[in-house]
Amino acid sequence: MRRWKSDLGLEARMFITMFLLAVIYLAFLAFLLATNTSQVVIILFMGGFMFLQYFFSDKMILASMGAKMVSESEAPELHQIVSRLCAIANLPMPKIAIVNNSMPNAFATGRNQKNAVVAVTTGIMNQLNRSELEAVLAHELTHVKNRDMMVMTIATFLSSVAQLMVRWLPFFGGGNQRDRNGGDGFIVMFLVSLLVWIVSYILIMSLSRYREFAADRGSAIITGQPSNLASALMKISGYRVPTQDLRKTEGPVRALFIVPAISGSSIWNLFSTHPSTEARIAALERIEKELEA
Amino acid sequence: MGFLDSILGNTQLPEAKTDKLFAISTAAITLEANLGLKPDGAAAVCIKPMDSSRYEAARTEIEDLLKLSFKEKGTEHSIQKDEFNYVWVVLKDKDFDDLVTNIQMVSQILMEQGFGTQLLAAVYRFKGESTVYWIYNFKLGSYYPFVPSGNQQRNTSQEFRLKSVMGAELPIEKDEAKWYPMWGMPI
Repeated sequence: MRRWKSDLGLEARMFITMFLLAVIYLAFLAFLLATNTSQVVIILFMGGFMFLQYFFSDKMILASMGAKMVSESEAPELHQIVSRLCAIANLPMPKIAIVNNSMPNAFATGRNQKNAVVAVTTGIMNQLNRSELEAVLAHELTHVKNRDMMVMTIATFLSSVAQLMVRWLPFFGGGNQRDRNGGDGFIVMFLVSLLVWIVSYILIMSLSRYREFAADRGSAIITGQPSNLASALMKISGYRVPTQDLRKTEGPVRALFIVPAISGSSIWNLFSTHPSTEARIAALERIEKELEA
Repeated sequence: MGFLDSILGNTQLPEAKTDKLFAISTAAITLEANLGLKPDGAAAVCIKPMDSSRYEAARTEIEDLLKLSFKEKGTEHSIQKDEFNYVWVVLKDKDFDDLVTNIQMVSQILMEQGFGTQLLAAVYRFKGESTVYWIYNFKLGSYYPFVPSGNQQRNTSQEFRLKSVMGAELPIEKDEAKWYPMWGMPI
């Protein structure tokens, strides 16, 4: 029986990143609770927001992107491609949506595997051939399988709290604390929050990139043809700038939830995410070699 | 695949399960006796091809063995790609047991060569008032009925009837959401 060797390097990096985030978050939490119990309100407040965001992510994102859910009879080709991939990888079949936009892009959303939605733009459907489109869909299916929505929501949670505090402490922090050390306490809290925000942001970005590599790898394994995703990436990498514009259409989601960091967790834009196309193609070429080994 | 695998982003295709594949052999008798559905002399295995020279070698071995089987039992075969780039080993034989044996052989070779993960489905065609397909999903290790009724529509009520009649004899997939339609089958 053939088993793919796990990419232990990638998994280790992912694990270490998540571990470091957990350490920082626990320390930050301990600090907040030790200095001022009223911070609990902020945490609960953010927690509530994050939960809503997570729970309704599919509906919100689809609405903000103008994605339309399509039935099997409306998009038979997409359904057939995805259902075959789901059958061979034994994954639950997601719902499928189409965004009427000429920018080539695709994303997956939804709080869990059962509520997952995989969406593609009309642009990507026009520009890729069927095998390339299949590779992109397999990449998105891997995001769903890897529970990236959940992982990234949890990963960004306390970072968002820190960011919120950095933004609002200068306005309210000093005034609320009337004890003798109020001024110092405010500065310490501001600096700690700033530090947590910056460090966790860097870690979250790394984690996000690792998860992109993992989704690329998943696509290569599920389709059995890493070259298809590589050629899809190459075709689409010329569209960097327009895809940035597509991201901005998330506007309503951001406005609703104040904290911009959330947008990173709620959507998986295949081609505006972080690793460079060159690095992704190089990784796919290594997988191609594994196939021959 | 476990929770930890998904959190750490590890992807593996599940290995094919073939232990229930043979069940169609006895079920065919009941299908004919109770439902008037006769084997229609055609079956196929659907494979997701792979970028690998070892996969090509496995394919050649399958072709050689099928040529031998044609000499011995008269089972005709053809290997073709469908519009979704999946490879189909299509078998034609009036003798249903020969079809079952050959389907078993093809999947066995692929598994021995390490490509069991690439097996998608085995399909048997039956004929009654309409054409009925029994699809074996290798990853689930179970069968489900597929009754296309033209223009990419399927006759769901007949599929459910087939399930209720054959449930005792054939390992039928319980999760109906996984009764994926297979359009564009070359049989």
